[in-house]
Amino acid sequence: MKTASYVSLIGVLILITAVFGLATEHFFTVRTFQTIANQLPALIVVAVGMTFVLGVAGIDLSVGSVLALGSSVMGVLLVDAGAPLWTGMVAALGVGGLCGVASGYVSMRWSIPSFIVTLGMLEIARGGAYLVTGSQTKYIGAAVSGLGEPLPYLGLSLAFLVALLVAAGGHVVLTRTVFGRYVLAVGGNREAARLAGVEVKKVQIVVFALAGLLSGLGGVFQTAYLGSADPNAGTGMELAAIAAVVIGGTSLMGGRASVINSVLGVLIIAFLQSGLAQLGASDPTKRVVTGAVIIVAVLVDVFRQRRTEHAGV
Amino acid sequence: MTTCFAYIRAVLVLPAFLLLFAGCQPAATPDMPGKPRVALIMKSLANEFFVTMADGARAHQAANPEAYELIVNGIKNESDLSQQVAMVENMVATGVDAIVIAPADSRALVPVLKRAADAGIVVINIDNRLDEAVLASSGVSIPFVGPDNRRGAEAVGAHLTMQLQTGDEVAIIGGIPTAFNAQQREQGFRDAMAAAGMNIVSVQSGSWEQAPANTVAAALLGEYLNLKAILCSNDNMALGAAAAVQQAGREGEVRIVGFDNIEAVRQLIAEGRILATADQHGDQLAVFGIEAALRRLRGEEGGDGVLETPVDLVTAESGL
Repeated sequence: MKTASYVSLIGVLILITAVFGLATEHFFTVRTFQTIANQLPALIVVAVGMTFVLGVAGIDLSVGSVLALGSSVMGVLLVDAGAPLWTGMVAALGVGGLCGVASGYVSMRWSIPSFIVTLGMLEIARGGAYLVTGSQTKYIGAAVSGLGEPLPYLGLSLAFLVALLVAAGGHVVLTRTVFGRYVLAVGGNREAARLAGVEVKKVQIVVFALAGLLSGLGGVFQTAYLGSADPNAGTGMELAAIAAVVIGGTSLMGGRASVINSVLGVLIIAFLQSGLAQLGASDPTKRVVTGAVIIVAVLVDVFRQRRTEHAGV
Repeated sequence: MTTCFAYIRAVLVLPAFLLLFAGCQPAATPDMPGKPRVALIMKSLANEFFVTMADGARAHQAANPEAYELIVNGIKNESDLSQQVAMVENMVATGVDAIVIAPADSRALVPVLKRAADAGIVVINIDNRLDEAVLASSGVSIPFVGPDNRRGAEAVGAHLTMQLQTGDEVAIIGGIPTAFNAQQREQGFRDAMAAAGMNIVSVQSGSWEQAPANTVAAALLGEYLNLKAILCSNDNMALGAAAAVQQAGREGEVRIVGFDNIEAVRQLIAEGRILATADQHGDQLAVFGIEAALRRLRGEEGGDGVLETPVDLVTAESGL
């Protein structure tokens, strides 16, 4: 059943590639695919975190702002404090993780919907990003850009390879470990999971901490890729991440999630963005087309599932 | 019940009294021969750009303490029009001599500013220009003091074309399409490209931000293999485009220009990775408005036209 869902997403991806390949002169080239791959790391790791969050039937609206905060802290440390690269990276991850723990703890301790708590965190982290940078973009340059630059021969960046490793790791954790089973059990039926002895709240807090940590990592990737830290980074990224994860067939109601499908969802969104830009589409057109493709991709998945349910059970 | 009615009546009548009072005040207190009081009303003081403007104004007042008194106010949220309207009314009520305002909306602020002007207060418009049609239809003229974004962008574009040849392929990455200054800058770029006979192959929005501009720039570099330049309507987008050019390995081949002269681009300009940007002197924008207001109070300047403030071209040679 799972392989079938990969197939429908890959089908959508091939269709998009074919359409843009025909409509533009240079879309169907290795170069284009390498370029797109090197833009992806931040969104991939954020989407992996979001997959776990939706898996426990939560939602995290703060990922884009937390990414910006991590990036800003890193930028200020490297530029204004002259700190070494690893310090900046650790700080970005730490800040992201802390934001995640805070959201998860507040949401679980007082049973507030994660929608509300992370909406608050979205504002707090964005405000924090403006505060630490004084609302200014920090240019870092060569000290950081090595991570995001294409490696010789391969044409892919180190950040992209790390992001793929993170996605593979996330897939293994979700499908092959006890923790992964707990995540889906909590999301599927919280009460049943609790009665079965799962420490529900602890699982959820860990999941939010993970999402925060991965947003911080996304901040590191974004900073490396652009060679600078922008406090406005990641605006609206929560919606792109949720769209990618939902296109991948993860349920907003929890209990059903796949990291690999989420990565395919990220690819669909990224191919659309790049293809439409290469085509020179206007901003309104881009939005209309992207929205339509999100709905169609989810519909394809829904129909495929109904068919397998009718046929199989 | 009766107390309830009395309360409602009081609530209804009190503002009317206050308005009456406010309307009378400038006439009731004859102009004092002392220092004029200038109110500076800004947009959000949480925004770096307006903080810089306000700080510039405070420094100017501190350097000229004899010339005028300064009252600085800003609203909390950039879209909170009612708060800014209330602020203008408060300033009229306290009897200031001049109001220098960066309106949060180019139409909605016109009625209250007309009331201020009718009360004999000198009103100067800075930053966001009031809608000319609305001003005309409400029969009030309020001078605008500020930079011409279109001319600034044209100067940046003209500098770029000196490095290019007629017919070269160029692309424009604009700001948020509905913003007035985004439209002005894009138009300025178009003017300069048309004047030099460049071939504009694509015009797209980068939403004022790095990452979206980077995505667009990378796609353009993939599609247009002969692209010679990318013109960005602000410096953040120029940074995004510079990263795309570097990663495509086309540095030196594709030139980039921006707008705003933010600190983060200075190193790239020095290294030649960004060719030029424009500086509209953000710290002086409010000061220009205040000086225009003071000249009017002294009766040195009349009319209701536009006073253009300088926008300077910044390149590696011009020094930063």
